[in-house]
Amino acid sequence: MADRSPVTKGTLDVIVLRALAWGPMHGFEIVEWIDRTTNESLDLTDAAVYQALYRMERRGLLRAEWGTTGNNRQARYYKLTAAGSAHLRDETKRWVNYANTVTDLLTAPIKPQR
Amino acid sequence: MARLTRAIRWLRGLLGRVSDDEIDEELRFHLAMEAELLERGGMTRDLAVAEARRRFGGVVQHTEELRDVRGGRIMENLLQDVRYALRLSRRFPAFTAIVLLTLGISIGANTAIFSVVNATLLRPLPYLDDSRLAVLFSQNPDKSLPRFSVSYADFLDWRAQTRSFSGMAAGTGSSLTLIGDGEPLRLNGQSVTSDYFDVLGVRPERGRLFAAGDPATESASEIILTYDFWQRQLAGDPKIIGRRLRTGTGERTVVGVLPRSYDRDNPGVDAVTVLDPASIPGVENHAQHMLGVIARLKPGVTQAAAQADLSAVAGRLAERFPEIAGWTVNVFMARDEATRTLRSPLLVLLAAAGLVLLIGCINVVNLLLTRSTLREREVALRQALGAARSRLIGQLLVESGELAVGGALLGLVVAHFVLKLIVSRAPAGLLPSEIALDARVLLFTLVLAVATTLVAGLWPAVAATTPRLAKALRDGGRSSSGGIRALRARRMLVVAESSLALVLLVCAGLVIQSLRNILAVDLGFDPTRVVTMRVSLPGPRYNDTTQVQFFRDLQSRLEGRAGIDAVAAANTPPISAGGITTNLRLIGSARADGGKVMGPATAITPGYFRAMRMRLLRGRDVAWSDVKPTIVVSQAAANAYWPGESPIGRRIGFGPRDTVGFEVVGVVNDTRARGITVDTPLMIYLSYAGATNVARTMSLVVRGRGDAASIVATTRAAILEIDRTLPVYNVRPVTQVIDDSLGQSRLNTTLLTIFAMVALALAAVGIYGVISYSVTMRQQEIGVRMALGASSNNVLALVLREGGLLATTGTLVGLGAAYFATGLVQSWLFGIGRADPTTIAGTAAVLVAIALLASYLPARRAARVDPLVAMRGD
Repeated sequence: MADRSPVTKGTLDVIVLRALAWGPMHGFEIVEWIDRTTNESLDLTDAAVYQALYRMERRGLLRAEWGTTGNNRQARYYKLTAAGSAHLRDETKRWVNYANTVTDLLTAPIKPQR
Repeated sequence: MARLTRAIRWLRGLLGRVSDDEIDEELRFHLAMEAELLERGGMTRDLAVAEARRRFGGVVQHTEELRDVRGGRIMENLLQDVRYALRLSRRFPAFTAIVLLTLGISIGANTAIFSVVNATLLRPLPYLDDSRLAVLFSQNPDKSLPRFSVSYADFLDWRAQTRSFSGMAAGTGSSLTLIGDGEPLRLNGQSVTSDYFDVLGVRPERGRLFAAGDPATESASEIILTYDFWQRQLAGDPKIIGRRLRTGTGERTVVGVLPRSYDRDNPGVDAVTVLDPASIPGVENHAQHMLGVIARLKPGVTQAAAQADLSAVAGRLAERFPEIAGWTVNVFMARDEATRTLRSPLLVLLAAAGLVLLIGCINVVNLLLTRSTLREREVALRQALGAARSRLIGQLLVESGELAVGGALLGLVVAHFVLKLIVSRAPAGLLPSEIALDARVLLFTLVLAVATTLVAGLWPAVAATTPRLAKALRDGGRSSSGGIRALRARRMLVVAESSLALVLLVCAGLVIQSLRNILAVDLGFDPTRVVTMRVSLPGPRYNDTTQVQFFRDLQSRLEGRAGIDAVAAANTPPISAGGITTNLRLIGSARADGGKVMGPATAITPGYFRAMRMRLLRGRDVAWSDVKPTIVVSQAAANAYWPGESPIGRRIGFGPRDTVGFEVVGVVNDTRARGITVDTPLMIYLSYAGATNVARTMSLVVRGRGDAASIVATTRAAILEIDRTLPVYNVRPVTQVIDDSLGQSRLNTTLLTIFAMVALALAAVGIYGVISYSVTMRQQEIGVRMALGASSNNVLALVLREGGLLATTGTLVGLGAAYFATGLVQSWLFGIGRADPTTIAGTAAVLVAIALLASYLPARRAARVDPLVAMRGD
């Protein structure tokens, strides 16, 4: 659990959208999915995930509906809206580009080539 | 139930909003899942639940944050805050009651006065496009006559020579006798030029109005009825149009009925006929002032432009006709004119009510500050738990808003009763009958409630949420430095409200004293047990000789009867504002003006002075046996017209061309014949006996011994013995005439006094509150003082001094403000200066005394404090 990376502001939203790309999930499932997928290497509070959910619900990227879980509990299920899918696509592309660029820069040979 | 919940949730989901309950439930679900997971990992259930919460972090704070993120929660917060505020109101019932009462009374006072303003100043006249309607007057600046009636000759020239008006029309009051089956009925009429209603902008309710341009001869036998008369006297006869009515001057055909709204602006008018210029005596004389003139401004012409246009015309006329030298004209807008007598008092009363509300708000601020001290701990706790400051301020504002709304509702009830008082006390005809709490008034009240919320609530809310939580939590909201700071602010508030109360007290004091002065005025006659009533002797049946004979006959018949002491007649009844002011000529006078003066005159029958119990100072009364009319002058007139000489034997001419005149035979004492507050007029009493071309309508004055009703009955019987067709009208005891003439002053004084008393009471409550608070804050100090040997009386004096000091400071500040405020009521004052030292000193003393009284209760509590308990500080 050592060395957890802080989540850059703004990326949390995309991560949550990505989680929901699999299909509708409730908040706890999303938290679990992130933990499982990242091997718990992100420094992320559960509350922050809910904040991201409410924020995006307000922006119309998500829609929520109450549903029943496997063990018969009432849970709030989130799913992507069309706007949310588009946002995820755009942001993913932007992030990958950005990450590639930064990776290229950081991994370039120390001595500049002429 | 579950289905319903789901349905609501589904609806909410559509709106993309999540409710507070849902947030709670979602987090509960999350924690439950977490705990379940931990439990499966081997923890006990309790431990798992606790651990889940620990991992999640401050649940309350996160919930609060989530609510903020969710947004769009204004309505829900509001509902929640309202629920909370209601609970709170129940927790502090005394506080709630005092605040509601304070706001109810002060908002109610404002609402009531505003209702009157709304029904008068803010209401358009019942005419088409009333904003262009003007009223024209002759004016004579030298004689300070700004609003004088207009001569027919002037009217014709004004109409022909001006260019600013699209129409100009004239009218005058008239009287008609309606002869029906029963007792003859005297109608209060208007006779107007045929285009009058076109210029005025009135449409008929029934039938038609006079056709503009109609030659007077065609309309001469027509009559138009007012709505009120049609309903009242003719039972709203649906076939009224075309009906012929028999009047004292021949038959007339009803051609139309005026709309109901016409009655509002012309109360008491029964019928309208066309003005026949031939009926005007001296119709070509420019100095024969007798008409009211209205005019309609052409579009785009301002009042000032019309005034300039008409002034130029009037200037030329005054040069051409010597009898109107010095006369010019005034153009006033009809809307301003209609509310002229009401505007200034209403605005003063509105300002007074505003001050009361301000004082009320100050009290509420004080109370809220006190309560927030008690709640400092609660607020601090909520802040520590993560509630945003804006959210808390919002909540506190909702609390004060709720109080303001409650106060406003109570205020409507208060306004209802104040309005009833105003309407019942207002002299007849002063206010329109339909004053009501209409939509505009309700809106005004709502605005007041919102303003009150902001004015009274914002500061306490900001102060209460100012972060100093650690200290507040530690001190438990007592004896913190914030408390001392708040105390200082609160003292300033009390000083402010005392000074505002003093302003109202001084104004009320001055006005009360004025009314007392008015009531103490020596009228110069004895109004008790005298009844006046009008009789009008119709044209063809009575000539000058038979008219005089009628009054002589009536006098001799009546004066012998039981219960009647004296009978006489005058053409201007006592205490009548206006009356006749005419051109006089002091024949043989060596004055610079050649003896040409303008002065009040009235015709009287012999015995008038006896009936009014006036004193004949010199010479004799006029007599029935006089062959030519004789004159009696008032003392003031004698002194003014013939200073240092005897007026007996002098002659006064009527009109500028009269060189013979009538002889002065006596001098009577001065009276307030033209109104109590009007300076003693220079009265000229002209004998009715022997006169020619005499007034047809006279006021009888009958002095009797019984009550007014029996005097009137006896008089009526005697009149009917002489002439079965003569109606008697405007029957009023002179004391009632006086009362009515004082009605508006009384009403103004009553309202201002009530406002001042409310202000004083509120200031007393404010002082009480602050001194109580101060005593609580200084409990430790007082305990120390007592432990060091201060006696109970020392402590009492200490606290009283504080209250006295606040009130004295308030008084000093208030005196400065009163210096300006009394200027507003200056026109109400009579026989007293606005800086009257007795009134000012008296009201200041009252304020300080009330302040000391209000401080006494907390002072006594302080003096009884047990030093040991006090020093422990709990």
